Amino acid sequence: MLLDKWKGAAFPLAFGFLMAVLAAVPFFVDLFYQTFLTEILVWSLFAISFDLIFGYVGLLSFGQALFFGLGGYAVAIPVLKLGLGTGSGLLLSVAVPAAFAAFVGFFSVRLTGIHFVIITIIFALIGSTVGETWTSLTGGADGLVFMAPPLDLGVAKLDLMDIRTTYYLVLAIVALSYLFLRRMVRSPLGKVFVAIRENEERARLIGYDVRRYKLLAFVIAGGLSGLAGGLYSLSLKYASATFLHWSVSGHAVVYTIVGGAGTLVGPMLGAGLIMSLEHYLVKLLQATDLVVGAVLISTLLLAPMGIVGFLLGRRK
Amino acid sequence: MASNLAVAVLNGIVWGMIMALIALGLNLIFGLLHIINMAHGALYMLGAVFSWYVIELTGNYWLALIVAPLGVGLVGLALERGILRTIEDQPVVTIICTFGIMLVLQQLVLTYFGGTACRIALPIPWRIPLFDLQYPVMRIVIAAISAAVMGTLWLFLNRTRYGLWMRAVVQDREMAVALGIPVHKVYMWTFVLGSVLAAFSGVLAAPIVCVDFMMGREILIMAFIIVIVGGMGNLWGSVVTAVMISLIHGVGSIFVVPSTATVFSLGFMILVLLVRPQGLFGE
Repeated sequence: MLLDKWKGAAFPLAFGFLMAVLAAVPFFVDLFYQTFLTEILVWSLFAISFDLIFGYVGLLSFGQALFFGLGGYAVAIPVLKLGLGTGSGLLLSVAVPAAFAAFVGFFSVRLTGIHFVIITIIFALIGSTVGETWTSLTGGADGLVFMAPPLDLGVAKLDLMDIRTTYYLVLAIVALSYLFLRRMVRSPLGKVFVAIRENEERARLIGYDVRRYKLLAFVIAGGLSGLAGGLYSLSLKYASATFLHWSVSGHAVVYTIVGGAGTLVGPMLGAGLIMSLEHYLVKLLQATDLVVGAVLISTLLLAPMGIVGFLLGRRK
Repeated sequence: MASNLAVAVLNGIVWGMIMALIALGLNLIFGLLHIINMAHGALYMLGAVFSWYVIELTGNYWLALIVAPLGVGLVGLALERGILRTIEDQPVVTIICTFGIMLVLQQLVLTYFGGTACRIALPIPWRIPLFDLQYPVMRIVIAAISAAVMGTLWLFLNRTRYGLWMRAVVQDREMAVALGIPVHKVYMWTFVLGSVLAAFSGVLAAPIVCVDFMMGREILIMAFIIVIVGGMGNLWGSVVTAVMISLIHGVGSIFVVPSTATVFSLGFMILVLLVRPQGLFGE
């Protein structure tokens, strides 16, 4: 009884504590680390959006970079060319990639396994080829640099050229997105996702329209990947066609696998760990991808469920 | 115009022969081990880089053509034995794992070889006249060597015991095990063979393109396209498709911007994936 009560309180307590720590951090570290933390948060969001589609529905999408890159442009282009505000840019950074995800997903979810992986790569590749060629709109590989107008929240205006303000905005959005996903994967909908991952045939036989659920997950994951891309370009004040390249999805894959797929916490932890590792190792040796690759391979061999999966003792 | 077209056709065939070798390696590994080898482009790049080192040391391209594939074969052997062997029956895990291997190989080359692209001098500097243009003889030799490698592969698969075993494992793995075929050894040598083929095409491509640590990244996707359009597991379908796609791409690039040609070939591939996932030449 007592244990059950504690279990219920454990998450709000842990979450509240973590949020308090993260909210206090900017008062103790300099601007460099505030930017670095912002980046970690953005990539964590990208990682959990990938975790929804891979960890819960079991679809390995290497195409998330397309939505990430699109999200970046959905902020940059309206602000730069249409003179829209940051708020509408952020809304667009969810809506535009989600619409593209609906299109890409409509075709992709018809395929399974290896074919799904490849078709998502191809869609991303088409995106990056178009993005790199259509320089008048996208700036190509050089990208677009823009000034972020203040975000008007009604009660307050957030100056997004200020690093600390940007950090708090990103922290709030990432935390909300996490809560949203956590709620979703624990809902009946989330159970259907897991059922599809575990046994697609059986889920179909029970009567679930598997393709529609896959498409739904793909669109939500695409929208959140886009939001991550939008926040990224907002914090860098820069969007580029290089973010559209399929290999950018590799970041999300690595963080998710290392942290533990299908746990949401894991991919965020993975993002934090790997990015810190890269940050500290870059001083020792220039070869950060070497370490990332080595960590990825050893995780797959030694703890295939990732760090969180390993800690929970759920071994295959 | 006629000479431009002739050059485009010749280039298309030469490049198609190089792509065919990469695709053959990728397809061989997929057909047998069911591994989508994301590191295949990196192995191709490694072949080119090894050949650059051999040429720096000895100045002999033909020696590099032998040594570099053997070196990459050793790398492939180490990868299969050390890493892939334990996870080879989990397709999704192997995709991610070979992606990791790709990162490591690219970074190693970046660290030791450097980030700048290097050109290799043409080992045969002659040119033959082609209408009013000159065409390098070396490219034709490259296509011929590639054809010779493919011929050898065909002989190996159809005339040797190992080739027979490999075909047997593709057809029916259970039965192959029951008949006493050392399946794991066959896996090992297939992966090595695939790596050697990738390296061969890397060495053959080295005098045409720039040797660079990222050279395998785009090639990998082209190789995937070829393998899928030609049919996964269908080796000779890959060869035909490789030459076909390179020709279409090469000739098409005369009339439209290269990136448009790329987008169209990618779109065509999506169509193939959706309508004929077994490939154009699959049953």
